[in-house]
Amino acid sequence: MSTASSPHLAVATPERVALSLPVAGIGYRCLAWLVDAGLLFFFWVVAYFVFTLLVSDVLGVFQGLSGLGQTLLVVGIFATQWLYWTLGEVFFHGQTPGKRALRIRVVRLDGSPVGLYESAVRNLCRAVDFLPGVYAAGCISMLLTSRHQRLGDLLAGTVLVREERIDLDKYTARTPESGVLGPKATRALTPDEVELVLAFLSRAPGLEADIRRKMGTRLVDKLGGLTDEERTHVLASAESAEAFLRAHVQVER
Amino acid sequence: MAVALPAFVASHRANWDSLEALLTRQREGTLSLAELRALDTLYRRAASDLAHAQTFYPGTDAHRFLNQLCARAYAAIYQPPRERWASVKAFFRREFPQTLRRELRYVGASAALFILGLLLGALVVLWEPRGAELLVPAGVRQYVSQGRMWTDDILSVAPPNSVSSGIATNNLTVTILTFAMGLFYGLGTVFILVNNGVQIGAIAALCAREGMLGGLLDFISAHGPVELSVIVIAGGAGLMVGQSLIDPGELPRGQALALRGREAVKLVLGCAPFLALIGVVEGYVSPGDLFPTWAKAALGLALGGLFWGYLLRAGSAVAETAPEVSAS
Repeated sequence: MSTASSPHLAVATPERVALSLPVAGIGYRCLAWLVDAGLLFFFWVVAYFVFTLLVSDVLGVFQGLSGLGQTLLVVGIFATQWLYWTLGEVFFHGQTPGKRALRIRVVRLDGSPVGLYESAVRNLCRAVDFLPGVYAAGCISMLLTSRHQRLGDLLAGTVLVREERIDLDKYTARTPESGVLGPKATRALTPDEVELVLAFLSRAPGLEADIRRKMGTRLVDKLGGLTDEERTHVLASAESAEAFLRAHVQVER
Repeated sequence: MAVALPAFVASHRANWDSLEALLTRQREGTLSLAELRALDTLYRRAASDLAHAQTFYPGTDAHRFLNQLCARAYAAIYQPPRERWASVKAFFRREFPQTLRRELRYVGASAALFILGLLLGALVVLWEPRGAELLVPAGVRQYVSQGRMWTDDILSVAPPNSVSSGIATNNLTVTILTFAMGLFYGLGTVFILVNNGVQIGAIAALCAREGMLGGLLDFISAHGPVELSVIVIAGGAGLMVGQSLIDPGELPRGQALALRGREAVKLVLGCAPFLALIGVVEGYVSPGDLFPTWAKAALGLALGGLFWGYLLRAGSAVAETAPEVSAS
């Protein structure tokens, strides 16, 4: 949101609040496509094996089908390849299984869910986006447009947005009551500082020991308001520094 | 004065969580009326929380969370009308033919391009027989030089039904491409239309020179009228897309494209079932001697007539009465 480099889709709601949805870039989209393509591929492989398991004489059965049956079968298989995308997007709120796995979603440019027509347009245009091979045209279009739309998206007026998984627990998590130094509310922290401390606290367990300690020290110093004696006490170990920080953030409420 | 961020989150969290739970239920379609009202209220509250967060805590995770929550609720509340089975029926009874009649200019232009290609191909081969080497695929040329129809041979090798299914999918691919290539400022569509015209024209001319025109007509008369119409209509849709790119009018190019794209795709979607049907005719009726030529020609003309009759007449009564209703 704050970084200018990641594009956003701005939506004006009737409630007079501007929403800004993070747009999914080319990486997310390629991965989602790979998942979908893989699913389709494995579906056909499995279908084939099940079929051959049940029926020994595959060719015979196929030839034994009535002509109309055979035509319907082939047209049906062809249609599945095309319908998969549109049905997924229309009935599962803009998400094919691959998009769901990557937590991205197709929406219209005004943020509302896609309808049948939009979805049909963007998926029929796969034929052109695929040209001259492996979605080259689509990828170039995604790189050149500000909202990472492929040609089909441009024609349909759709865009892919990301859903982030955001954990609010860190704001409300209670500290186990510890004997470590009750924080003296010296001054109110700015939201930026709160965010910084929380970000550090949630990542601290994964940091290397001396880096963890160094950063904890810097944050404690940044918050300040300690006498020298208290400071050495707080900084005795990484854990006590973090406990101090956590308590400091939470005294705010 | 703003409260501190953790306190803000802690005091509103319950509302957000219940809104989230309601949204999940809404997606499953198991909301009661009371819950729906609650959803509305909670959404408005979350929206005002978002406005608060935008002012006082921009760029924090809480802001991002609210933004996303409101986006989900917004998408759930302001939904476009859903397309259901009834609207599929309405689409084929009225919307598709009406859209076609409204955009008849583009279909006409597309037909003109196709015919231009047809004439070009035919004239080149008629005047300069060696032109056929360029314009007609080698396989077809070989058959023609032996005085046989290549279509007879397809039959003897493969059963007719596999031919039919191959043809049906091939036609679908050509139709989709003809439409979608309109994204290249319409040039792709123009190319496909002229190119297809040239090929068919050249083949016809070559057959005529070899005295096999009868055989060719025998093959294409049953499915040709409808199939070529469908490709021309898809070409019209592609031209609509190209036109909106070249001359978007008063809208920004992107918006014009999206608007016209929605209209254009109706033409393609409407054609799809007819294309599948005609593929069956092409696979079963057209090849071989099962049906006499006159029967094939009659069938082709009847199908073509029905198709265009449907396109030009269906839903027009409703269209005429509709303005009266809205006026009264």
